[in-house]
Amino acid sequence: MLVAKGLRKTFHGQQVLKGVDFTADPGELIVIVGRSGCGKSTLLRCLNGLESFDEGEIAFGDLVLKTGPDDRQTRALRANFGMVFQSFNLFPHLDLLGNLVAAPMIVKGMTRAQAEAIALPLLEKVGLAGHARHYPSQMSGGQQQRAAIARALAMAPKVMLYDEPTSALDPWLVDEVFDVMRKLDAEGMTQIVVTHETRFAREVAREIVFMEEGLIVEKGPPSVLFGSPKDPRTIKYMSKFAP
Amino acid sequence: MKISILLLVCALGAHAAPAKTLRWGGDSSGGAPFVFQDPKNPAKTVGFEADLAEALAAELGLKPEFVQNQWDSLVPGLKRGNYDVVINGLEITEDRKAEVEFSDPYYLTYEALTVAKKDFGVASLADLKGRRAGTLKGALAERLLAEAGGITVVGYDTQTMLYDDLANGRIDAVLMDHPAAVYYGIDERLKNLPGQFGRMAYGVAIRKGDAKLLAQVNAAIARLMKSGKLREIYERWGIWNPVMAAAFTDDKPGQHAEPTELEAYLAARGVKLGWRASFSKYASYVPFLAKGAVTTVQLSLLSMAFAILMGLALALTKLYGPKPAALLATVWVEFIRGSPLLIQLFFIFYGLPTIGIKLQPFTAAVLGLAINYSAYEAEVYRAGIQAIPHAQMEAALALGMTRWQALRHIIIPQALRVVLPPTTNDFIALLKDSSLVSVITMVELTRVYGMLAASTYDYLGIGVLTALMYVLIGLPFVRLSRWAEARLAVEKRPRLS
Repeated sequence: MLVAKGLRKTFHGQQVLKGVDFTADPGELIVIVGRSGCGKSTLLRCLNGLESFDEGEIAFGDLVLKTGPDDRQTRALRANFGMVFQSFNLFPHLDLLGNLVAAPMIVKGMTRAQAEAIALPLLEKVGLAGHARHYPSQMSGGQQQRAAIARALAMAPKVMLYDEPTSALDPWLVDEVFDVMRKLDAEGMTQIVVTHETRFAREVAREIVFMEEGLIVEKGPPSVLFGSPKDPRTIKYMSKFAP
Repeated sequence: MKISILLLVCALGAHAAPAKTLRWGGDSSGGAPFVFQDPKNPAKTVGFEADLAEALAAELGLKPEFVQNQWDSLVPGLKRGNYDVVINGLEITEDRKAEVEFSDPYYLTYEALTVAKKDFGVASLADLKGRRAGTLKGALAERLLAEAGGITVVGYDTQTMLYDDLANGRIDAVLMDHPAAVYYGIDERLKNLPGQFGRMAYGVAIRKGDAKLLAQVNAAIARLMKSGKLREIYERWGIWNPVMAAAFTDDKPGQHAEPTELEAYLAARGVKLGWRASFSKYASYVPFLAKGAVTTVQLSLLSMAFAILMGLALALTKLYGPKPAALLATVWVEFIRGSPLLIQLFFIFYGLPTIGIKLQPFTAAVLGLAINYSAYEAEVYRAGIQAIPHAQMEAALALGMTRWQALRHIIIPQALRVVLPPTTNDFIALLKDSSLVSVITMVELTRVYGMLAASTYDYLGIGVLTALMYVLIGLPFVRLSRWAEARLAVEKRPRLS
């Protein structure tokens, strides 16, 4: 179970997180929604230590990350998370297989053969089996993002974090990425997704978290948040996405 | 990396024990007849002072070994122990006597005036009022010209260029040591005037405190004088003069020896060659130039390798090091980048011995070039690493890599392609800057050119040949860099449909 308590963060004199409590149970698929600048990406990045925070703590199993720089603890925590970025961030100098085997070899000290034994089935899983020797620049955005998911999975994370994974994609490429995430959900992967795609949120999410101005305003199942939200701020935001 | 530099310093810095040799310093780019490269066999160092060194060494029961150094630096080089004596037209002056010991004079001479043939009106220094006269910097002649008054004095570094400029009309007269006039004033466009100006004595310079060697050298000179061997050498070179005759109380009429060396030199220089003969003449210079080129390549490759390593370390320190270290790296880079390489080389070679660090010329040259270029590389690599989007670092960290792992496996390999062209550029620049190390006794390509040109009086032909060699050395590296760049450019591969 992932538990974040009382997270606060100030960035250039502006409070981006004003005391956020957040919980994710194993196997859940949580979608965080909210306007740009509401702090949802910052929250996601805090969860795997890419962003530091000023107050609060993050606990995952026995691991507890408190404020202040602690590289050891941060990396130990990070080992449980896979992260997928809006702009894919594949390594352009490596082919797809190279992208997938890099971290297992460098971080876990696997041999190339061991790493490939993990990587090749993952490429197949995301539908890129024939592209192992292709470079990121040769692929479409949807293919790159699926490869990025496979790269994260190669480190065998327990939780997957997605930071607006389809925002940089052409509309007709969005579904191929979401299909992979649906597949992972079916396998029981815990997934936390920041996205503006309400259709995906409505159809797949177990829980919707609505954030505004650095706070979690309301959370609950999609039917409740989309159908009958309680907080006026949620109502105002959701009114834009009438079914 | 620091350790490997240290090892290099130790390996090359170990002082070679002076076996039974007399190491004598001189500058063979000074020109005839002092010490110069034989125009017929450029690998051979000849001159009346080379003959003298040989005779002296024989008297002392030693083998002569010539050590090349730039004329300005002959005394500093002696003091730091690069050679045992200096024999190269060093005039015995009070200033120099404060620095080193001098033997009894081995040669006495005077300044001689050379003018262009068209200037028949000039007969004395007084006639030069309002005109331009050239001589070597810091020589007695410079003082004489200044004292004459009203003459614009132009200082030169090498005597060959003096007479060249006189013939080309850039200056109106040359006042130089008589032996130089004998060799370079003989030109259909020039005329040596008979007057003698001033008196000067050349002595063998020896380190202060080397009293035993000083006594031995003085005794040897006296024996050579008495036996007539010294006079024979000077006569062969055509520079025996009345002052010598008077001082050596050797006024026997007639000559002991024919001026064979002078005639051979003038013959070698004066001959007009057909293209076939010219070709074989230049071909005969190639092996000597190639030897210099090998030194240049060795120096440049080794220096660049160290510069790349040090530059990378500096760049990483600036970007990721703790604040004080980053600041120190910045200050160091600015300091090294902001000061002339020449001064750094002098500092390392002639400055460091005063605090007990005495490096061999090759080591000092590599160190100087490597340190200088590491500052430039540091900035190139800093920019190259910063050109890689920060998202790449984040992606690597998110996968569990440490910052160092991310740098080594993700960031630096990508930056490599960015920095390849400027690094190649710097290597080509270093290749050429390596010519500066001739100031610390290294005989590399440019120094060989200077030596050859001074003795053959052919700055044009050998100059073109030397420039061509630099280009040829650089080209393969340019090609290699292009090839590597193309291979690394995976981003440019065609998009799949």
